[in-house]
Order: sequence, then C-alpha cells, then structure tokens
Amino acid sequence: MLKYIGKRLVQIFILLVVYVAVVFFLLHSMPGGIKAMLTTNPNLTPQARDSILHAFGLDQSLWVQFLTYLKNIFTLNLGVSFSFYPTPVWSIIAERLPRTIFLFATATLISFFIGFSSGKSLAWKRGKVSEYVATIIGVITYTVFTPLLIFVLIWFFGAYLGILPINQFLNPDLWVNTTFDAQTVFLYLLLTVSIVGAAILFSFIVAQKVSHRVKTKKIILYTSTAIASALSIFWWAISPYGIYGADIIWHMVLPVLSVAIISYAGTMLVMRDSMLETIKEDFITTARAKGLPDKVVRDKHAARTAMLPVITNFVLSMGFVVSGGLITESLFSWPGMGMTLLNATLAKDYPLASGALIFTGIFVLFAHLVVDIVYAFLDPRIRY
Amino acid sequence: MRPVLEVKNLKMYYNTRAGIVKAADDISFTLAQGESMGLVGESGCGKTSVSMSIMRLLAENANIVNGNIYFKGKDIVKLNDEEINKIRWAGIAMIFQAAMNSLNPVYKVGDQIIEAILAHEPNVTFEESRARVAELYKLVGLDPKRMDNYPHEYSGGMKQRAIIAMSLSCNPDIIIADEPTTALDVIVQDMILKEMAKIQKKLNMSMIYISHDIAVIAEVAEKIAIMYAGKIVELSDAVTVFKKPAHPYTVGLMSSFPSIHGEKKKLVTIPGEPPNLLNAPDHCRFAPRCPFATKECWEKMPLYEEISPNHFVACFHPQNLRKQVSKDA
Repeated sequence: MLKYIGKRLVQIFILLVVYVAVVFFLLHSMPGGIKAMLTTNPNLTPQARDSILHAFGLDQSLWVQFLTYLKNIFTLNLGVSFSFYPTPVWSIIAERLPRTIFLFATATLISFFIGFSSGKSLAWKRGKVSEYVATIIGVITYTVFTPLLIFVLIWFFGAYLGILPINQFLNPDLWVNTTFDAQTVFLYLLLTVSIVGAAILFSFIVAQKVSHRVKTKKIILYTSTAIASALSIFWWAISPYGIYGADIIWHMVLPVLSVAIISYAGTMLVMRDSMLETIKEDFITTARAKGLPDKVVRDKHAARTAMLPVITNFVLSMGFVVSGGLITESLFSWPGMGMTLLNATLAKDYPLASGALIFTGIFVLFAHLVVDIVYAFLDPRIRY
Repeated sequence: MRPVLEVKNLKMYYNTRAGIVKAADDISFTLAQGESMGLVGESGCGKTSVSMSIMRLLAENANIVNGNIYFKGKDIVKLNDEEINKIRWAGIAMIFQAAMNSLNPVYKVGDQIIEAILAHEPNVTFEESRARVAELYKLVGLDPKRMDNYPHEYSGGMKQRAIIAMSLSCNPDIIIADEPTTALDVIVQDMILKEMAKIQKKLNMSMIYISHDIAVIAEVAEKIAIMYAGKIVELSDAVTVFKKPAHPYTVGLMSSFPSIHGEKKKLVTIPGEPPNLLNAPDHCRFAPRCPFATKECWEKMPLYEEISPNHFVACFHPQNLRKQVSKDA
C-alpha cells in the first residue's frame, strides 16, 4: 500500500508539472494580455510602464517566466494578483474557497444521496411506472440548459412566490451592525459541518465494530447523528452568529436546489444500471435464500456492491466542488471560486487565474488518490 | 410418519412474451426425515424451477399456478414474505448451482455465514455464532482460520465447502443441492459428494440432490426422480430405478453415462432434444424421441401411476421396455 501511494505521488508530481505548463501557456496565449493593456494605456509614461513590466517580470521571455512560476509553485507561492494588487493569490483563494466548498459540497452531497437512494430503489422495483417517470424526469433535468433551469427556479421561488432570496450570499441590511465579517461565519459553518460529518463517520465505524446486528447498528448511527446535529444546532442557537449563519444558509437554498436538480440524475442513472447488474448476481439469490429481509438484501448485499461506480462519479465531481460551477455562481452572484476564475481571466490577471486553476488541479489529483485508497477498503478484491 | 416435505401437483409457469412456459407441470413427491432424493434430468427440464418453487425464490414472471408444497404441514405456497423468510435457511437451505458466485465478494466468508445464523437465531451472540462457524468449517474440511478471508482468496473447492458449511449453519431440516459439484473437477467432486452424504447421515437431514448426471445422483441418493420436460416421468428407490428402469427416458439417461464398475459398453445418446416447454405437446412429451412410441403415445398424455409398490412411472409401455432391455443385455 505504501509503495503504491509513493508511486502515485510521483505520478501526481509529473502530472502537476504538465498541468501547470498547460495552464500557464494557455493563459498566456490568450489574445490581448496584460502587456498589451499596459502599452496601449495612454495615461502611463513609458518609464512607468517599463518599471511595471520589470516588477512583474513580464519583460523576460515566456520560458523564463514559466520556470520562475514553476519554482514558485513548488515553494507554495502563487504570486500576487494583478487586479487585487497587492493581495497575494493565496489570500484571495482562502477567502473565496470556503464559500464555494460550502455551497457545492452541500449540493453535491444532497444530489448524491438522492441519486444513490433513488437509483437503488428504482432498480430494486424494476418495471414499475415510477421507474419510467423518474428516469424521464432525471434525463430531462440532467440535459436541460442549466441557465434556463436556474432562471425558471429564480423566477418561481424568488419572484412569483417571493419566498427565497435570489442572489448574493447574505442580506446586507441584517449585517450592517455586525462586528465580525461573513468569512468568520462561513468558516464556523464549515467547521460545524465537518465536525458533524466526522462524528457520523466515527459512529458508523464504532457501530460496525461494536455490533453485528443491523438493528443495533442503525440505532447507534441514528442516535449519534441526531445528537451531533442537535448539539451543533444548539451551539448555533446560543452563539451570537446564529442568525447570520441562518441568513447564509437561507441564501444557499436556491443555488443548492438548482445544482442538486441538475446533477442528481447522473448518480441515479449510474446507480440504477450498476444495481441492475448486481441484482442478477448469484450472491443476491443466496442472500434471499438465507431468509434475510428484503431491505437487508437490497442495502447490505446489492447496493453495497453496486456503489463502486457511483463513488467514481463522486470523485469526478470533487473538482466541481472546489472550482465551483461558473454558471451557478454567476447567476446567483455567489462570490466563490468560479466567479473568481471568470473575473481573473477577463481581467488578464494571470497569477490569479492560473492560481485558481492550479489549486483546483492539485485538489482533484489528491482527491483521486484518496478515492483509490478508499476503493481498497470498499472492495477487498482491490489490493495495491 | 408424516413426511418433512410434500409436493403435491405443483405447477409453476413462466409468463414470457412468447407465451406461457410450463417449467414444472404437475410435480408430486414426498420426502421423509433423513431421506435423500435425487432429481435428475437434462438441462431445461425444470429441475431448478422445482427447487426454486420450494424456496419460493421465483423470478418476477414466474407463478405457482396450482399445487401445494407442505413443509412440516405448512403450505409454503400460501405463506407471506415474512413467514417464508423464517423457513428459508432455518427450515430449507440450499446449495446453489453456481457456488463460485454464490458468495458476496465484498464480505468475509465467515461473516456471510454468521449473518445467516444471526438472522434466524436472535438469541445467539456473535461469539457463539463464530464458534459454530468454526465447527462447521472443521466438519466440511476447511481450516477455521480461513473464515476471515474473502471469497476471492478461496479456491473453487474451498468455496464449495464454505457454501456447504453455510447451508448447514442453521441446522435445516432439508438441504436442496442444485448441481452442487458441477463446477468442480471429478476428483474434488467425488470427495465433496461423499462428505455431503456423510454429514447428511450424521445429522439426519433430508436432502434433495439435483443433477443432470445420474451417475452422481446414484452415489448419494436413496430415491430418484427422473424429470423430463417439466414432469416427473419415473420415481422410485435408487435400486429399482437402476435395476428395473421402466421409462424409456431413464434407460436412455443411464446408457448415456459411462459406468466405472460395470462392463464396457458403447455409450448411447438419446436422439433429438427436449421439447420447447413453451408449446408443450398434449401427448406424451417423450414420444418424439422414444424408440417404443406407438400411436397411443402420440395421442394422449400417459398417467403417472404406481406400476409396482413405490415405483411410479408415466409411460404407456413400461412392460415392453423391460423385455427390450433384457434382450439387449
């Protein structure tokens, strides 16, 4: 296993160099560019222009710039943003990332949960009317033009019913007199979710170790989930951040709904197909013959074995979680990674644009490594 | 004594797009406590359909249209899902055709056996069930240490033994072994069959062996039922079936397998192939392949009758046949 991880780390390193090269040269091959913008600016004196170019190293050849950039990346220095000068790229990413992660992680988890359980049930009760209805609706929402769906949702919930906020991630009127910034609340929200998630995972592992009966396992899992959630809700209720956290979550409802509607069907269809394959296997007949209840056969034997392709799908969407959906973020004016990338590219802000892309790249590469390791736990036949 | 299993006029049909397939048509037999029975026939003659009906593990398009299956006096056909789940494995266990794939690849073999024990015996603790699995492993000739291995770490023969251990785990009254050794080589096959017979005698269980290979069945079964095209054509104790076969199909089956102990003779194949059960004929279903068929055979279905004590045959000319066989010999 360790040998395998070492091998994979070397691969990741090589891939990363290639990826950085592609990102760097692609961005610099865009027409226009910062150099042209500076030279065509009539308000700048030639001396000022030259000193700016020299300060950013833009007067050197592209190859030298690339090598310098590569060196900086491996010393974890992503440079300074042009458009937010002199803020370092790292702090911009650090500011935007939690917003994107919080929104898209929530949406992805919800859509995977819906997709996983609906795909499972559809395959189990094959040939019912519900299967055709769910499949058709799923394919429609999966293939529909995303902005159109979002506009319809915004119109329906925001304008027609008027019950949900339509853009931004907070209500400025509410925040006027606060002494802390939204970032703090965001980080607390993320922290809460991570702690609750870790508690659920921990109780799941404990339940597996402690008990061997499905019923007790479920009781342990559900009670600890309920306790963890209740405690965190209690903490938010008594803390001064409570109402502000609720405000952010309230603003999140519509974007999360949109992303979930768009992406749940992918998981559902993959899970359904994989389940249909697994159900035909002989060990499912064995499980039934053993007199296990229908639900145990479905969840413990069929779904557990059929979930591997869904896990793959989940990892592929991890890139989405950090890069953010450009369309979703723009339409909801959600200032996350997607918006940052778009604005940086439009402003020819090379360091910020490549920084955002490279950060996403590193994250996705490591997410894949983590999933390969998780695979080994989920499927004992996979050994490295 | 009341038999532990009694199948009465069982009719199990598949509804397919092309029409109704009569996979099991008017099947009747009884099985006493501790008795072992063989169910023999070519592929597609309905052997597995009968066993799946007994377990009520039917495909969605399969229906038991008529008949009763009494297990200890309870009619399995009429039970609801919860009641049938109680009988499965604890009352009637099964060794499946494809033992290679009958174990879930993502769970340890021992845990899969323990799962069955815990599902049926709520008072047994995990440690007790582990101890029982260890005993079962010893019984079937496996190292108890292997129970914490995954199925892919087992060889074919070991998987088969593990499945046998699993089938014994809840002390069932009946075990149905559907082609239990087909996937194994001849040497392992023989070993496992002998062991199964030994265990069956030791625990005084009833056993139904299903196979297309009459030689295999002959080694282990006391009673043999020959199936052809969804029907039982001959049923008697093993000795009678071998010494005095009354149905031409039985004779055909026996002469198409080599015997190690008997004299050398040419293997005879039965010409033709079993009828499509989709359009099963109204006359004797074996008539098209039968060398003794007369006009009568092409007009009516022969009755399933007791021609001598405990020897049931569905044929118009069982007498003719006996002469014919003795002439050949």
